[in-house]
Amino acid sequence: MLTKEDNELLTQTGPGTPMGELFRRFWMPALLAEDLPHPDCDPVRIRIMSEDMVAFRDTDGNVGVIDTHCPHRRASLFFGRNEECGLRCVYHGWKFDVNGNCVDMPSEPAESNFKDKVKIKAYPAKEYGSCIWVYMGPAELQPELPEFEWARVPDANRVVTRFIQHSNFMQATEGEIDSSHVSFLHSVFDLSIDYHRDMRTGDQKEGRNSVLSYKFGAPQLTVKETDYGLTYGSRRGPEEGSYYWRVTQWMLPMFSLIPGPAWPRGGRGWVPVDDEHIITYQYSYNAERSLTDAERARAIDSMELERVKYTLPDGVIIDTNRSVRAPENDYLIDREMQRTQNYTGIPFGRHQDFAMTDSMGSISDRTKEHLGTSDTAIIAARRIMLKAVRDLQEGVEPYAASHPEVFHVRALDIVSSEGDFVKLLEADGEKTLADV
Amino acid sequence: MLSIEENQLLTKTGPGTPMGELFRRFWLPALIPNELTPDGVPVRLRIMNEDLVAFRDTDGRVGIIDAFCPHKLAPLFFGRNEESGLRCVYHGWKYDVDGNCVEMANEPPENRFQDKVKIKAYPTEEWGGLIWIYMGPENLKPELPQFEWARVPESHRHLARWLQQTNYAQGMEGEIDTSHISFLHGGLTPYLRDNPDKRPTQQGATRNLALVDGAPKLTLNRTDYGFVYGARRDTGNGDYYWRVTQWLFPMYSMIAGFQWPRGGRAWVPIDDENTSVFGYNYNPEAPLTEEQIELIESGRAFPPRVERGKHELKDGYVIDHNLGVANKGNDYLIDRDMQRTDNYTGIWGINEQDRGLQEGMGRTVNRSREHLGTADHATITARRLLLRMAQELQEGTEPAIANQGDLYRVRSMDIVSPEGDFQKFMDVFTDEAKAKA
Repeated sequence: MLTKEDNELLTQTGPGTPMGELFRRFWMPALLAEDLPHPDCDPVRIRIMSEDMVAFRDTDGNVGVIDTHCPHRRASLFFGRNEECGLRCVYHGWKFDVNGNCVDMPSEPAESNFKDKVKIKAYPAKEYGSCIWVYMGPAELQPELPEFEWARVPDANRVVTRFIQHSNFMQATEGEIDSSHVSFLHSVFDLSIDYHRDMRTGDQKEGRNSVLSYKFGAPQLTVKETDYGLTYGSRRGPEEGSYYWRVTQWMLPMFSLIPGPAWPRGGRGWVPVDDEHIITYQYSYNAERSLTDAERARAIDSMELERVKYTLPDGVIIDTNRSVRAPENDYLIDREMQRTQNYTGIPFGRHQDFAMTDSMGSISDRTKEHLGTSDTAIIAARRIMLKAVRDLQEGVEPYAASHPEVFHVRALDIVSSEGDFVKLLEADGEKTLADV
Repeated sequence: MLSIEENQLLTKTGPGTPMGELFRRFWLPALIPNELTPDGVPVRLRIMNEDLVAFRDTDGRVGIIDAFCPHKLAPLFFGRNEESGLRCVYHGWKYDVDGNCVEMANEPPENRFQDKVKIKAYPTEEWGGLIWIYMGPENLKPELPQFEWARVPESHRHLARWLQQTNYAQGMEGEIDTSHISFLHGGLTPYLRDNPDKRPTQQGATRNLALVDGAPKLTLNRTDYGFVYGARRDTGNGDYYWRVTQWLFPMYSMIAGFQWPRGGRAWVPIDDENTSVFGYNYNPEAPLTEEQIELIESGRAFPPRVERGKHELKDGYVIDHNLGVANKGNDYLIDRDMQRTDNYTGIWGINEQDRGLQEGMGRTVNRSREHLGTADHATITARRLLLRMAQELQEGTEPAIANQGDLYRVRSMDIVSPEGDFQKFMDVFTDEAKAKA
């Protein structure tokens, strides 16, 4: 439970908000690289942390992420002409390069120097790990990119999907560090099959560990705070003298790595669109080899995404992918499936999560919740976030933002006779370190 | 650039706002006459944040009254339009075009309650191809503006009404922003730059000369009705291309064109975030030909391609309007391949281009964050004049122009001339700027 004030502090990321300032110390995914497929391609509308921007790839292949609105009369640059190394507003022909310089102002006399006085807001952008990243904080504090293993493996080893969700970032992020829901929300009734089974295709992933998840619905959580956020062990069992450990990584300000018994595995980054929407970046990778076509297709197809122009409540349109399973159609719930096959009647895990975190309301009212021991990691993550926010307000910069090497970790899914998390990490801790 | 406070003053026209009070001193276009037929379906309107319903009674008279019955505030749109009045279908109360309650079927006649109840009803006039409404103080009812397009015979003009999803001011400002036609409506793409033979010879009623010089020099003359400005472009051969545009209180334009028909637009606030645009096209010398009307209605001469429809406003109130086929929801049917070749925007249609850009600014553009240059001189002046007039009205000075309808008898001009000085140019072409009808 949080006070109303802490809940606002935790969830609001617009310009000038304390959490917004903290987020603006980190590089954020803004698009997939494939969203800007070639030089001079169509511009794309995005909103990040309540700022409306348009992204484009110029003639030389450089990516620009600039204010949606032309500084002249504030017309939308989405309609702009992306050509000859810049994006040109079609209203009066003003043209901007990827750095936000006004490089042409043909509606003013040639002798005028007005062009040199006008700049458009432009954020540094980099292409990395199949994503386009943007840095929206103070220029003098611009850090290096975070060293996530999924972003550093060869492109062939990784698949990233991008889609909109209809809630504040934090309640979705909290689903990542909530081990016990796996035993319920994601469970199927036939324990001989893995919970990763796709209910539509019958495809199964390897591994038996998660069967244990269904048997033991009340895991014991131990949280360890780290430089990058937290890691926690979720212990189920014992059964036949062994414990099933799921060790999850949660990384500031809103990235996760989820344990899985086999490659590929991954996690998610939850980028606030505004306080009531997120764009989720879901990464899946194999550190050891390239993904097969089937693995890649499963990661993409299972999301059931379509490309949409999404109208936000204030009327602004963004370009994004969206699942066909959405609040307005009850995520296509199948009540017969719910009676006979799985816990929810929604076939795929991610959509099961959508239904839960969207239905909390666009910003969950944390003054009304009731948290138990299985919510230990959630409580810890909030505390870490709120402390980081208050530290920053007092002038203490977040350590992780300027130390990209701290993100060099993995999640772990392991069966062990060791029942103590600290000792487990002593014994198997190297398995939580990234190779690249 | 305006301060946040000035921007609010300029853009808010609801009851009691200073700009709303100013607008309520003028007759305003409300409907096209053929939107209403005797005893036909009522039309839901919102004008300056007031919800109204319009109907034409059995005798052909037009009423524009409160959208909601004063009894229990049920919507009169569902009413029965019959026997010289609009009857609420909830309890049968019936109103005439002047707002009198002429029947109150569910009350005992001896109560005479119906004589005590009136519904809000505004004066209307059917004139010049429009239904006009006056929403100001009864004792100050002004003159109708004597636009030439309103005075010519019916056959000489074409009028259209459509929805724009922005505040009125940002659409109106597009009318007096001459430099954008060199870009938005006819900019030279790299493809056209490299293939001169593919260039169009004209864009609507605009000479292709607008493309030669994208940085026009503006000279503006203040008048009693607003202002007239000349935008001078170098033709490159010693002559000047002059586009002379009229801006008339409180939100009318007369746009330059080198041939008839030509016209302009009126921007009537629906609320602070939506506008009814009235487009007029006319020829003072001859009836419009079928071909010309077809051209206008095809979307090639500014009025957009529209479909009649219902439009739900943000607060849930529904209006009946003509809605753009190309609209915000479909990115104005932008075609990026066309944009890469021979069309600067990739958007088909002059209005579609304007509307796309203006709606893309947001419902009410944040004028505290813009950067205006010398090409925006007319925009800056129109804002200043409106703000001053609204301010003066607050201090008790009524707008004189509201009662000087004849001053609206002016024309725009589109002329190529060796004369480079605007005042001398106007001396030469004085007669051209006067309406004949």
